[in-house]
Amino acid sequence: MSEPLLVLDNITKNYGAIHALKGVSFSIGRGEVVALLGDNGAGKSTLVKIIAGGLEPSSGRMLFEGKEFLARTPAEAKAAGIETVYQDLSLCTNVDVVANFFMGREITRKVLGIPVLDETAMEQVVGNALANAGTRIPSLRTKVEHLSGGQRQAIELNRFVHWGGKLVLLDEPFAALGVEQTRRGLDMIRQVARQGIGVIIITHIMQQAFQVADRIVVIRQGVVAGDVPTNRTSPDAVIGMITGETLAGAGPAAEGQKRGPVQEERTI
Amino acid sequence: MTPHTRRTLEFVLDNLVWFMLLFVLAIFSLFIPNYFQLGIFANIIEASSVLGVMSIGLALVIITGHMDLSVESVAALSAMTVGILFCSAGIGYGFQLHPEWLMVPVSLLIAIAVGSLIGLFNGVLVVKARMNAFIITLASYIWVRGLVVAVSGGRSAQDLAPAIRWFGIQRVLGLPLTAWIAIGCFVLFSWFMARTPFGRHLVMIGGNETATYRAGIRVTRNLIIAFALAGATAGLAGWLLTIRTSGATANLGVGLLFNAFAAVVIGGVSLKGGVGSLPGVYAGVLLLSSINTAINLMGLPANFTQVIHGLLVLAAVLLDTLKQTIRQRLA
Repeated sequence: MSEPLLVLDNITKNYGAIHALKGVSFSIGRGEVVALLGDNGAGKSTLVKIIAGGLEPSSGRMLFEGKEFLARTPAEAKAAGIETVYQDLSLCTNVDVVANFFMGREITRKVLGIPVLDETAMEQVVGNALANAGTRIPSLRTKVEHLSGGQRQAIELNRFVHWGGKLVLLDEPFAALGVEQTRRGLDMIRQVARQGIGVIIITHIMQQAFQVADRIVVIRQGVVAGDVPTNRTSPDAVIGMITGETLAGAGPAAEGQKRGPVQEERTI
Repeated sequence: MTPHTRRTLEFVLDNLVWFMLLFVLAIFSLFIPNYFQLGIFANIIEASSVLGVMSIGLALVIITGHMDLSVESVAALSAMTVGILFCSAGIGYGFQLHPEWLMVPVSLLIAIAVGSLIGLFNGVLVVKARMNAFIITLASYIWVRGLVVAVSGGRSAQDLAPAIRWFGIQRVLGLPLTAWIAIGCFVLFSWFMARTPFGRHLVMIGGNETATYRAGIRVTRNLIIAFALAGATAGLAGWLLTIRTSGATANLGVGLLFNAFAAVVIGGVSLKGGVGSLPGVYAGVLLLSSINTAINLMGLPANFTQVIHGLLVLAAVLLDTLKQTIRQRLA
């Protein structure tokens, strides 16, 4: 494998006396889809916030494209090419679809030196993006508060597909989606990965992880309890890792640990 | 429902205050003798310029989901500063500049600067120190008014320099220049809110601050600017107030805050943030002003205005709920 896209090296996060992350190490390559699994409170969302910016780790380091990386704000992570779809949706329901799609990255043209929103251009881009993804929304000028949960999630997903970047973090992206939309969402993830973008997807649904991911990383009690290629493990083995029934050393998980890219990185 | 009817309905809902204003004006014109005159309408617009300018800043801050209770006192402080500097009687120093017209831009800049500074102070405390805007600006409302009383010693400044007063007398197309300033401000700020990324971001911050932060919008900076703008427009309102009264008293503008709130709410701005537009606020200001005029013309005791304003705010909130229900059906 060539140089990994993102390397996490012994990341810890303490909230006072509580150790949310006790030293998490794993890595993800370009075009790779990693499913991050773990029970509630295992520290998955904390990890996502550390990578996506806004939460600083207590110790440990991250390498992004081979360089030391720490995002103090989501804006910094975004500038580096990291897109995030959060569990609680990040939409402003009081404005329309177009405004949400372009939040913070509006297309403008200068009028007397003042940047002015170019609404026609933006509407066209959004229209194309949604049409490509097969999402139907009656009017792009509808305020998001009047859309259904599924439509809202579709906007978020289309937004990350459109902006791409280099690494995408998805925190429970399909919670509000129906069967058909979920299938389309998983297709979107594969399609994004084919473009060479790394994808980290957090999910509770084992089936989704096995459908879409190249590798499965299990977090348990703030540490990596397993790191295995999807085609060398089974849902039962993964459940074992999540609940801690089997020792992390048992079966494919141990192999994954040994062959973990982080270790490779260290030997270089 | 066809897209056409949907669009018409949404247009009516978006501009409901304007339709209310037209309706009220029509009713008054029909039933109150002497109401239907160009002079009366010009008077309504003129009387709403100070309140209008102040409401712009208040609306901006409320749209971002915050609150500015200090606008009234800030306007008074700006007015008192200009009064003390450029009035020749009372506590005024009567500074003279040559050429005389220079006093207009200089006094205007001073008024706006005083307002912006206090707005900036409010904004930094609210955003950086993460204190509640209601409390911070309530404190400013009190201490700024206190400063006005302290600086003036409770006395007043009279006889504003004629070069500045000229502004209050001069008329263009039947309206005094002060009214044109208010209209100009509304046009300018409405355009900024609707057409620039900055305005769009303010509305989105009011809708979901976390989402805008995650999207990389500079929330802190934008909010501080919004507070500073509220201070600046309050300062401008104070300047207009000095011109109108040709001086400044320690209790100048008392009660304007609640009228501004009424105008903003009637204008369709939600106190929860994220909802509302400035043209609506101007219609709200004009509506209040036309009702005041009607009460005057009917010879009712002026105390009734307060009762009617209060009921109007209630009606506006009820109407807002109704609008929400209709919109939900539309979607």
